[in-house]
Amino acid sequence: MRFPFRLALRHLLDKKIRNGLTVAAISVAVFLLCFLIAIVQGLEASVRSASATRLVTQSAVSLFVSLPISYQHKIDSVDGVYLSTKFRWFGAYYQDQENFFAQFAVDPNRFLDMYTKDIEIIEGPGGITGPDARAAVQKAFDSDRRAAIIGTGLRDDERYGFRIGDTVPLIPLLYPRADGGAWDFVIVGYYRPLKDRIPDTTMYFRADYLNEAFESGEAYGDIAAGVYYVNTLENAPVEQVAQEIDEMFANGPQRTKTITEAAFASFFISAMGNLPLFLGTIGGAVLFSIFFSVVNTMMISGRQRIQEAGILQALGFRPITSTMLLIYEGLLISLIGGGCGIVLAVTTERPIMQMLGQSIRNYQITPDLVLLAVAISSILGIVAGLAAGLPFLRYRPTEALRSFE
Amino acid sequence: MTDAFIVLEKVCKSYSRGGETLHVLDEFNLSIPESDFVALMGPSGSGKTTILNLVGGLDSCDSGLVRVAGAPVSTMSRRELPAWRSRHVGFVFQSFNLLPVLTAHENVMLPLQLTPLSGPERRKQADFALDIVGLSDRASHRPAQLSGGEEQRVAIARAIATDPDVIIADEPTGDLDRNSADGVLEILSRLNSELGKTVLMVTHDPLAASKAQRLLELDKGVLIEDRQIEDQQREGA
Repeated sequence: MRFPFRLALRHLLDKKIRNGLTVAAISVAVFLLCFLIAIVQGLEASVRSASATRLVTQSAVSLFVSLPISYQHKIDSVDGVYLSTKFRWFGAYYQDQENFFAQFAVDPNRFLDMYTKDIEIIEGPGGITGPDARAAVQKAFDSDRRAAIIGTGLRDDERYGFRIGDTVPLIPLLYPRADGGAWDFVIVGYYRPLKDRIPDTTMYFRADYLNEAFESGEAYGDIAAGVYYVNTLENAPVEQVAQEIDEMFANGPQRTKTITEAAFASFFISAMGNLPLFLGTIGGAVLFSIFFSVVNTMMISGRQRIQEAGILQALGFRPITSTMLLIYEGLLISLIGGGCGIVLAVTTERPIMQMLGQSIRNYQITPDLVLLAVAISSILGIVAGLAAGLPFLRYRPTEALRSFE
Repeated sequence: MTDAFIVLEKVCKSYSRGGETLHVLDEFNLSIPESDFVALMGPSGSGKTTILNLVGGLDSCDSGLVRVAGAPVSTMSRRELPAWRSRHVGFVFQSFNLLPVLTAHENVMLPLQLTPLSGPERRKQADFALDIVGLSDRASHRPAQLSGGEEQRVAIARAIATDPDVIIADEPTGDLDRNSADGVLEILSRLNSELGKTVLMVTHDPLAASKAQRLLELDKGVLIEDRQIEDQQREGA
């Protein structure tokens, strides 16, 4: 037996406004769903890809309380510690407050050693690229305390367009200079992130540039480290190392709290509340409301087609044909709507990524997410078609023929 | 009796309405030979449409036997009946029952989807059926763009598209004006006389009934009149 596809298509086209509105509603819902899931995945990606052997030592009081620089060599002496680096939020902008990007004061050589698997120096001073680029950058860091590396995102962003050799004046928000001027930095290299969670719009520079300026009175601020990033030796007991670090400073000027990099990343997410759960709840609500909307559309369609079911049965079609017609229609409506929603999500990926900027670094409409959206749309259509079409199975032809909408 | 084309033997049929059982047919017997044109008349509730539904396999009887072209329709399952209907019976309804979203040609093509014919063969068959009812030029029109008479002719084309043995017509002229009704009756007569189709028609219209070869009159489920209509009478009608 052949299935009357043409009849299903004609029904779809016959109720253009009703079906069009349903398609539009599904499009918006699927787009929203993709958007929300991409945000949750973006947030979770930073936690998932965090290094398992890296610790973050911060003040036990608050993340915003800096740790003394004297702690570093003590941390380095703990069994199982491979390397540590200062990591201090600078907080300055370029020319206009709108032009804000992340800057961190680090120990450059230690930082580059620690982040070998996370970032790659792709170009150093004098246009040096390839394996020699990193050595050239390290040399530049050693010779100029204003030296800084930037991510490729800052190089490519038209608002900045920073190039190697440029002197970049940044206007401080946290650490003003005595002369009231800007802090100058000299770009000595570009890095490219090797992991999703690492943004390509960050600048890293020498921590001692800050501390020396504070010490000499050129600028106002405390000589400190912010937090310490600590790489442990492979196979070292990470939790035990963290505990030893904290015990060492239990009576120190600043008590510390040492946690894994993943926990540190989670902290930022949880600082916004349980965002994944919140967004997931919204996504679920969107899904349910659109599900009821599609079921309603298909039920209306079904009620108007009881007599048609009788006619089809009189012509020799089995009752399930009418059920399958509604499932097919529901599936088509959902897939067209879902497809539009997916196209919308994919085409707006870049603008949304730019809009979210640093807050959610890994907003991506991945192929898996597209497949999930297609699957959800399909299930939506099939279930809605089934809900509307199942009653046809119990109608006898004479009953169905007698019915009038 | 068993040599007849359509046979109803001791058929009982009742309906439950509002807790009350309504006995429509009680041990009803009927025999119709092949290629006959039978008109069923009688007041509302006399059992005319019930007989059509039982013969067409749209409804089942409580007891008794319904046999059409040798097939035991009354004992067929709900799964078997649709396939049997698609091969052996063509229905024509009072309210036409065309699908409004399809064109005349597509409506006629619909039952052909249940046949093993290829796409081009089905199109050719639908063209032929529309040609028989004189509506080839209206093939691409939807039911809403056709007159009542034209709609009923399309319905007849749909009923004969699969070349069934029996055409069951339930008040086919009930919703039509005299001219259109005459056109429809003319087609049914031709299908009977030229193509040998067995036609079973319910009607309230004596003029329509006079086009048949045989008139059956029912009252409260009982056959009160069964007579042949003479050729002269038919021609004069």
